[in-house]
Amino acid sequence: MKRRRFLKNTAIGFVGLPLLSSTYRYIAPSDKIRVAHIGMGNMGRAHLNWFSDFNDVETVALCDVDEVRLREKLKLLQEKHPLTKTDTYTDFRHVLDRKDIDVITCATPDHWHALIAIMAFQSGKDVYGEKPLSYSVQEGQVMKRIWEENEAVFQLGTQIHATENYHRVAEIIQSGSLGKIHTVRLWKTGGSPGLGFPASEIPPDSLDWNMWLGPAPYEEYTPVRCHGTFRYFFDYSGGVFGDFWCHIADIVYMSLNPQGLYSIDTRGERPWDGIADTPRWIEADFKFRDLDLYWTTTPPPVPGAEKMHIGAHFEGTDGSLTCDYNTRTIRIGNEMLDDVAEIPQTLPRSPGHQRNFLDAVKSRKQPESNLTYAREMALPMYLALISFRLKRKLKWNSLTEQFEGDPAANYLLSRAYRAPWSLP
Amino acid sequence: MVAALIEKYYLKMLKMKNIVSIGLFATLLLISCLGQEDDDFTALFDGRNLDEWIPGPEGGFEIINGELYTGGEEGNDLFTKKWYCNYVLRLEYMLSDVGNSGVLIRCNPEAAWETGVEVQLLAPWTPWRDDLHCTGSLYGHVAVANRPDETTGIWHKMEIKCDRHTIRVSVDDSMTTLAKIDTVITMADKLICGAIGLQVNHAEKEGQYAKFRNIYIRDLDVEPAYICEGFYETDSVFRAQAYSAALNLGAEMVEPLALMMSGENPLAKSGSKQVLFDMVARATDPQGEEKYKDDVADALNNSADGVSSQIVKEYLEWLSGMIKNSTDE
Repeated sequence: MKRRRFLKNTAIGFVGLPLLSSTYRYIAPSDKIRVAHIGMGNMGRAHLNWFSDFNDVETVALCDVDEVRLREKLKLLQEKHPLTKTDTYTDFRHVLDRKDIDVITCATPDHWHALIAIMAFQSGKDVYGEKPLSYSVQEGQVMKRIWEENEAVFQLGTQIHATENYHRVAEIIQSGSLGKIHTVRLWKTGGSPGLGFPASEIPPDSLDWNMWLGPAPYEEYTPVRCHGTFRYFFDYSGGVFGDFWCHIADIVYMSLNPQGLYSIDTRGERPWDGIADTPRWIEADFKFRDLDLYWTTTPPPVPGAEKMHIGAHFEGTDGSLTCDYNTRTIRIGNEMLDDVAEIPQTLPRSPGHQRNFLDAVKSRKQPESNLTYAREMALPMYLALISFRLKRKLKWNSLTEQFEGDPAANYLLSRAYRAPWSLP
Repeated sequence: MVAALIEKYYLKMLKMKNIVSIGLFATLLLISCLGQEDDDFTALFDGRNLDEWIPGPEGGFEIINGELYTGGEEGNDLFTKKWYCNYVLRLEYMLSDVGNSGVLIRCNPEAAWETGVEVQLLAPWTPWRDDLHCTGSLYGHVAVANRPDETTGIWHKMEIKCDRHTIRVSVDDSMTTLAKIDTVITMADKLICGAIGLQVNHAEKEGQYAKFRNIYIRDLDVEPAYICEGFYETDSVFRAQAYSAALNLGAEMVEPLALMMSGENPLAKSGSKQVLFDMVARATDPQGEEKYKDDVADALNNSADGVSSQIVKEYLEWLSGMIKNSTDE
């Protein structure tokens, strides 16, 4: 089948979804979407598995700065799909140069998320990008601008978003049957390990360490800084908190879409037993215009929470709801329920997070965790980590997206890129 | 002057990466020698007043002829206002034939015996005066190795050195007690920072008294070389103590921290990187002290040129930018 690509004008908009105004690529429903995967760690493998199983996806390229991982994942793919014709790259720029690729997925460490997505948008590609959205707040802002300019499709890889449970929880909360929700408590147990005090090493020949670091400050190689545990370093990520925020804050934004964040107060500790520096434990208090939102490393004192490693507890004037990815418990008065039959189904269900994205690539309508939604949902996490690092309460202006009266905190909203990398 | 030279020497050693430990050892030796220098000591009691102390509600101590006297029937122990972690304390004491007092170290005055330990001062009259309870012992925890001169009615000199895990007591220039606190089970829960206290004389005998004079302290936690040494501690509790001391000292620590960060030791590298950040975080606090901020800003600017490691240089420049950003606005 010959591949068709052409530009087409559109005037169709959908309520609640960003309008795509002028021009876009068109992939016919019968056509294959040509996908490349960048970042071949554990999440990269998940991407590979998820996407290669769709009949309308062709896995065109795999990319990683570590040749060992690249070969491993190609082998896995070939075992599953023996006829696949997939090229491998160690430099993602060569992937972006290919005009025959429609979509990239990105499962690199966090400090690469934004720039790869931005460069992909600029090269006319749609992006399924892993959480968290970016490394810094500023990157998220630039991502959004370039995404809009290029009318690209972006889905943040918060696959829990697509679950039946999250949709039903959102319906229950939005129905008002718990009254007005004034407080939400989020938690995720566990924190950053210390990772010991290993000495620096010469990176293995199979790893392009300089490319792995990319826009992050140069640092000597130590295995724990790299694969698997990079997220316990502020140089690259935001620890367990930064990792899981998007999954569980998602249900708050799906249900309530809180607005007017104005205060962030964070407490916590770094590990003492190693070179890792992200929180061993963290507690953050967020004040929104109409909502108090709390994050803790230990479960909050609400029934059942102690058994859940991650969760959200909504407190309303007439009742409460506790949920995680797959379960929910509603408490109204003395009653304990898992559903309220009278609440109608109002939210359209997702066909699955990856399918939803692929459909969006074809329809040019933005998917469920699009960049506008995902950026707003992820934002408080970055602010809390700045409060954690500065060890002080911060005031936030959600209109200007600046801290008030704290220039040092504003300084930490961005990080200069290491040459030759730069943000547009 | 000498202290400055030592520090320069120390920093030079740090620069020579592979002999860091030799540098530290030399520094430790020199610190011991420096201990002889009175310049580094400040008065806690010089005969004039009790400005550094918090008298209890029932008194118990009074200044008589420039000496601190305790001998009444009632009274409270006397504690310093400030808390100290690592230090050399020097004092002179005199006990009557039935004197019974002591020096409390690293304690919380609210519960001094539970949180700290007492360096005993006791005239040799009670039946309990074994080596674990005599003058110079860490009362009930660590016995004296060398029994001091216990003659009553004359002045004795005492020196107590709290040096992270090690507590060393000397009387009349001879060491009586050496305690490695991490090997003393009964001291496992003791504080490693606290007030210094003088125990009210409590013999409940006719003619009891204890007298003190010339109480001087050298606070090691304000000395950059000593603080740096703590960054190499494997025990995180003492590393944390050194981090905190470095943070409190501020600007003066910037260069030593930058040099440690340029070294090879992963403990010291990661600790100094973190403390430099924390220092800038404190310096940029809108509610913080202007002087702390200005001094740290200057020190960062001056240090960036002196370091050889490009990684450290860029880190210092990034931190410098953070302070500059907050100064400009």
